[in-house]
Amino acid sequence: MRESEDRILSNLDWGLMLIYFILVIAGVSNIYSSVYDAEKPGLFNLDTEHGKQIMWFGVSMFLGVIILFLESSFIRKYAYGFYGFTMLLLLVVLFMPAINGAHSWFAIGGFGIQPSEFAKVGVALALARFLGQSKTHLQANRNRAANMGVAELWGVIPFIMKNFETVTILAIPSILVLLQPDAGTFIVFTSFILVLYREGYAGNILLFILIAVFMAIITLLVADDSFMFPFLKIKLSGKTGIVMSLLTLGLIFFLLIKYFVLKRNRRSLYRALFGSLIVAIIFVNFIEVGYSKILQPHQKERIDLFLGKIDDPNGKGYNINRAKAAIGSGGFLGKGYQEATLANASQKHVPMQSTDFIFCTWSEERGFLGSFLLIVIYTTLLIKLVIIAERQRSRFTRIYAYSVAGIIFFHFMINVGMAIGLAPVIGIPLPFFSYGGSSMMAFSILIFILLKLDSERKIVLQ
Amino acid sequence: MRDIENRKYIITLLFILVAMIFVGRLFYMQVVDDKWKERAAEISENKVVTYPARGIVYDRNKEKIIANEVYYDIRVIPSQAKNTDSVALVKLLDIPMEEYVDKMNKARDYSYIKSSELVRQIPPNEFAEIAPQMYKFPGFFEVARTLRMYPKNTAAHVLGYMNEVSPTDIERMPYYKAGDFIGREGIENKYEEVLRGKRGVKYLLQDAVGVTSGTYEDGRFDTLALQGKNITISLDWELQEYGEKLMQNKLGSIVAIEPKSGEILAMVSAPTYDPNLLVGRRLGENYYNLQEDTLLPLQNRATLSKYPPGSIFKTIMALIGMQEGVITENSSFACQKSLVGCHNHPTAGGVSDAVKMSCNPYFYQVGRRIIQQGKKKSHFADAAIGTDIWADYVKSFGIGTDLHTDFPGVIRGHVPTTEYYNSVYHEYGWAFSTIYSISIGQGEVEVTPLEMANLACIMANRGYYYYPHFIKEIEGGYIPDIYTQRNYTKVDKKYFEPVIDGMWRVVHEPGGTARRARVDSLNICGKTGTAENFKMVNGRREQLVDHSVFMAFAPQDDPQIAIAVYVENSGFGGTWAAPIASLMMENYITGTISDTVKENRILNAVLIKDDVSNIVKPKK
Repeated sequence: MRESEDRILSNLDWGLMLIYFILVIAGVSNIYSSVYDAEKPGLFNLDTEHGKQIMWFGVSMFLGVIILFLESSFIRKYAYGFYGFTMLLLLVVLFMPAINGAHSWFAIGGFGIQPSEFAKVGVALALARFLGQSKTHLQANRNRAANMGVAELWGVIPFIMKNFETVTILAIPSILVLLQPDAGTFIVFTSFILVLYREGYAGNILLFILIAVFMAIITLLVADDSFMFPFLKIKLSGKTGIVMSLLTLGLIFFLLIKYFVLKRNRRSLYRALFGSLIVAIIFVNFIEVGYSKILQPHQKERIDLFLGKIDDPNGKGYNINRAKAAIGSGGFLGKGYQEATLANASQKHVPMQSTDFIFCTWSEERGFLGSFLLIVIYTTLLIKLVIIAERQRSRFTRIYAYSVAGIIFFHFMINVGMAIGLAPVIGIPLPFFSYGGSSMMAFSILIFILLKLDSERKIVLQ
Repeated sequence: MRDIENRKYIITLLFILVAMIFVGRLFYMQVVDDKWKERAAEISENKVVTYPARGIVYDRNKEKIIANEVYYDIRVIPSQAKNTDSVALVKLLDIPMEEYVDKMNKARDYSYIKSSELVRQIPPNEFAEIAPQMYKFPGFFEVARTLRMYPKNTAAHVLGYMNEVSPTDIERMPYYKAGDFIGREGIENKYEEVLRGKRGVKYLLQDAVGVTSGTYEDGRFDTLALQGKNITISLDWELQEYGEKLMQNKLGSIVAIEPKSGEILAMVSAPTYDPNLLVGRRLGENYYNLQEDTLLPLQNRATLSKYPPGSIFKTIMALIGMQEGVITENSSFACQKSLVGCHNHPTAGGVSDAVKMSCNPYFYQVGRRIIQQGKKKSHFADAAIGTDIWADYVKSFGIGTDLHTDFPGVIRGHVPTTEYYNSVYHEYGWAFSTIYSISIGQGEVEVTPLEMANLACIMANRGYYYYPHFIKEIEGGYIPDIYTQRNYTKVDKKYFEPVIDGMWRVVHEPGGTARRARVDSLNICGKTGTAENFKMVNGRREQLVDHSVFMAFAPQDDPQIAIAVYVENSGFGGTWAAPIASLMMENYITGTISDTVKENRILNAVLIKDDVSNIVKPKK
């Protein structure tokens, strides 16, 4: 036991640990500032959000220490088990009473537990376990990646067919959180694309994502509109217009290929063109139906606001307008600690300023300098995670580390992007920073598992 | 598999790229773009404007003639207004039910938690009845605001009134914000900037529902409201009120000036109105009624009307004649009625006689000698020179010139010049024979009542005047120098005595035209006039009954008051204008009225007729 303790401590990545502590402490101080109440000045007062956050941090540290004393093999062995457990929780939570319109919470005593936060850990473990051992799949896919080229643009369908297990691991929690409904967590699950990308799947996935985002935005912009078809008095919906444009583009490419491409290359290009066209049309329909049929009205509004389709600074755009005003008014050096006039719990101008919009308080009080520093810290953390991932001999650990990086990256990107108006309003927490027990514990567990796995990198081969 | 190993760099690059985009965006939002700072201030700071009390206006005897009074607006917070007995409330506040329902709906639309106005500007006496009942209506509360009050109920035209600024005012004068009040007309308008003071601003922090939670930056950016300055004007409110009483049931104006200073003692325009009508919540309604009145009570006849001066102008003609050397004090002209009509009187043996008897042919001769001085062979060229000489003299009496009176909307009279006549006729197309009626104050010469009173001052001062003005003192300020400078006419002092002697005789001697103006102790000097006037009646330009005009000053040797009185369409100057002037002067100088019969005759006279019955029937 003595020996293992030494081994754990000496091999721990203290750099990662340090960044973790910096973020947690900065987060607690920030919550303290944002919700400070002169009547409850105590830092550890459990009636306050900062007091509770400290408590959750304590619980997280306790869990962390337990994790550090577990055997790595135990973690690997029960990866699926933990995944299954969290999926069960996601299923059960759907039958819990709705809070704020979503079945996302288990109310235990005075506290709420959000299983979707822990599901991220479960998915990361399960994915690492599955991809870590499935050499054959990987090999096959590596070959595919090398051979297929352009055809990967529509590689989604063959990917699903060939990687049924991987898709299932991701699809189950995705569907379950959509049923809550919790669009934010769903988007976070898409962060595993980053892992798949690193592991050799979907080579042009970044290009693919860019095109997909572009098409999605165009589709959303015209989704509710209709227009007159030129020369004919036929009213067409926006979606039909896009599909027709796609078909026209396809025709142009077809003609280009027909007249300007060598005959022997034509066949594969026709195939790629046809495949892309089909995928694109399905995608456009998927987005359109999702936007107009599945999304809640308030989610539609957020997207409309983000795209600039509607502008209503005091009504529907209230949140984002106030959030941006808080950040923008921070100036270069900020208003000073506990000096926020907007992102402040007593003023209530910025809603959810201790959770989803926590970045506003930080940014308003610490100004551009503080915001810059925080972004540097998060980016350092992300790069650190990549470095940790890349030094692993164990594929399990590497995939797990990339999962952690992906999850934190998406949380960071969407949360901060939302606060500064670069992303639509999606309610997900800023890791280690936002007030909330579930996310604090889940992110801590993510980090501590990684610390544990990483500490054994020299002795673990698998 | 190198390309797959390279993907770690792409992922790292992606992280860095997002970080750079965020940093760039944050730099723009927080450092470059000020939009969000303004927006933040808009959201979190409540700019509370503190209105200073408007300056008080005193009359020359330090009596308050414009004061402030607390009025009450009734406001409502919809979220707190529960179970309102709307029928009782509507009855209490004296507003129609529809208005109440409409205002309540608007209030709810605006905000549930912020207050909206329900009734504005309830006067204190009405509010005294409402206040004890207010507790029955939770959510409804009063907000005090200061409005003007005019304690003497007099001098409406002089004092002016206030109302809310219009969008065009705000555009023109950025100081004002919607809902501000601004002085209109009169002293309220002229001394607006002095009286209004300066608004103060307090920045308060407010939370998301608009509740104040402290001062912003400990009040570092707050400014204190600057109290409006009190001013004293030259008006004598008792004289003013007396003048208004004398002018009741008459149309016309009185302007009284202290010759020694140019201070305006009274400026009456009849009909007048109670200035307090244009305060408070019935302002709009009352203003509309006054505006629709065919007797034009809102018009200040003392500064906005001009008439031919009539015989009063003969005093100026005599002075110019003597100064130019074309007549002497003792020049005598026969009353030759073939030249111009006259009444029966003995031949005037000199200037004094001529003024006393107001002999038309005498002044025809004087006018001809001024206009046709024989400087050019051509009759027409000669008249052109003479007319400009004459016009320059007349203007030196302040007629048709800027009198720099501190009052808005003062018009000028008209002095025809050679240029003017050339444009009416053609050059060398006119001579004295064309324009002779100016010598007896008819025709193209026009003066305003204010200019006429100023002429009385010139007579009293024997040749100079101060610009007529109202301002006596601005608290902590100075009175402009222009009001202490003498303005000399082009006529020497020595020529005034025979004219003034004539004016004394007008009042005191048998055969004088204004015997009714006589007050034994006062030595009033005056000159009557009748102003011909024309008006469009039923689409035709008709001559109406002459305006009765009188200009006077008193006492002769130490003049304390100079006055001009116009009574519209009342005929000969001696009949109505002269006694009114004498009563005014007696009241001002002695404080009593010796001849109550004269006073009652004026007070009881009703001289308002409709235009049709005023038409002068052509003589057969």
